[in-house]
Amino acid sequence: METGGDLLIIELGAVVLGLAIIARVARRIGVPALPLYLLAGLALGEGGLVELPASTEFIEAGAEIGVILMLLMLGLEFSARELIVNVRRSTLAGIVDFVLNFAPGFVAGVILGFDPIISGLLGGVTYISSSGIVAKLVADLDRIGNHETSVVLSVLVIEDLAMVIYLPVVSGLLFGGTVLSTTLTVAVSLVAVIAVLAVAYLLGDRLSAIALSKSSEALLLTLLGGTLLVAGLAGRLNISTAVGAFVVGVALSGEIVSRARGLLLPLRNLFAAVFFVFFGLQVDPSLIPNVAVAALVIAAVTIVTKIATGWIAAGRAGIGRPGRLRAGAALIAHGEFSIVIAELGIARESDLGALAAAYVIILTLVGAVLYQFSDSIPLARRKRLIGDASR
Amino acid sequence: MRKVTETDLPGVGARFDIETNAGRFVGVVAHQTGRRDLVIYDEHDIDRACESVELTEDEGHTLGELLGGSPMLEHLDDAVHRLEGIVISWVTIDSKSPLAGLSLAEAALRTKTGAGIVALVGDSGSIPIPDGEKRLEPGDTAVVVGAPSAVKAATRLLTRTTP
Repeated sequence: METGGDLLIIELGAVVLGLAIIARVARRIGVPALPLYLLAGLALGEGGLVELPASTEFIEAGAEIGVILMLLMLGLEFSARELIVNVRRSTLAGIVDFVLNFAPGFVAGVILGFDPIISGLLGGVTYISSSGIVAKLVADLDRIGNHETSVVLSVLVIEDLAMVIYLPVVSGLLFGGTVLSTTLTVAVSLVAVIAVLAVAYLLGDRLSAIALSKSSEALLLTLLGGTLLVAGLAGRLNISTAVGAFVVGVALSGEIVSRARGLLLPLRNLFAAVFFVFFGLQVDPSLIPNVAVAALVIAAVTIVTKIATGWIAAGRAGIGRPGRLRAGAALIAHGEFSIVIAELGIARESDLGALAAAYVIILTLVGAVLYQFSDSIPLARRKRLIGDASR
Repeated sequence: MRKVTETDLPGVGARFDIETNAGRFVGVVAHQTGRRDLVIYDEHDIDRACESVELTEDEGHTLGELLGGSPMLEHLDDAVHRLEGIVISWVTIDSKSPLAGLSLAEAALRTKTGAGIVALVGDSGSIPIPDGEKRLEPGDTAVVVGAPSAVKAATRLLTRTTP
């Protein structure tokens, strides 16, 4: 047992140090670290270069905590009121986004011979952009003030909210039995989601006040314990742990939010990285060549459909052509949610994992580069059009 | 007031824009954290923030006061005017003024206009209640007090060449 414990620590140390090097390299060359973490995960584990016999179990638990922390932090960014206002204002953009970007994945799944539920998961993978990566790109490139950024953020919020419905539905479909029992599971989980959201909306302020503590230690433990508990219960009810954690984040408001961000950020960074590595670990790298062509084609199609989404949504907000292109390019990057969705189906269809990993790696890198250089793409009659618009 | 366009930035805060008469766009991003970004938009691509300066809450207040003139002084001006029928005016002495370079005694502003100079503000500091030997240096600011018509006449003398 003694040596086993040592081995666990040695493996963990090596993995985390490896991630540290990756994070530095990513920063140096100016790309998000997420796809590189996935690559690292692919290179490790069974079928990879090095196996991790002692630490895989620990990494798996860490990965689950990683998802919960990512979603909790995402939820902290929003208040319930903000979400409602946004859905009302940008419903059309949200629908366009869903139709244009769910379809490529779903159709590809059917063509590849996946069953309808797995195809539905692949549709989810292609639908959802990465709010985490996009928000970071926007901030890094100093584009928060850009007019199209509000449109991009609105679309991302609607996607995140859509997950609150989507994840329980697909979990219900995946783990349900007969048509009747599946329908029942889905219905129960949707009712539960609405109930939890209502509680969050009505009691959010009071819960925040109760959870608040002057002691950072007490606050951290309260947040972590409470969120894990709610997320775990949500998982039990097939609502998915991710949705549970997101709702907790939305429910919290006021002073506690800024303190929670400061306390949780380092933990989030650690465990989110672990999550992406773990996903890579689960994927057998030898499957990648089989799905490489499909991943490239789906990626190419969704680059076009995401740009179209941004173009249409920004156009409706009265934004000029260069801004519309930037909005589209911003939405290309896929990340954490695509991986969360793919993970649901990985046990049932191992090709889905390989496909999603390859797809996310491609889109995150291409998206980051395109968004960065979208201003260098010459658009016809750019100056004249903009000049007209300002008069 | 100019029309201000307000736009929600979910998860960040809000953005406020105005369009200037010259057709340029200037905006402020108000973060939930209290941070403010001063944003200047590109002339050729009005949706693009070509310059974005991060300001703390305190820096934002300071810049706001600079841009809005000095609301404190304006308030003081209004109050005095309303209560006593007196005007206080800050006048920059023009080099072309017939009084430029003269001492206060030589200028005899009070005799000529009825308005008095209660302070001089220049590079070397401010002189409250200056005596007759102090000079009206071009570029300095004179704080002129008197009845509205007297202050108007004094301002004309200090800022313009004789007709």
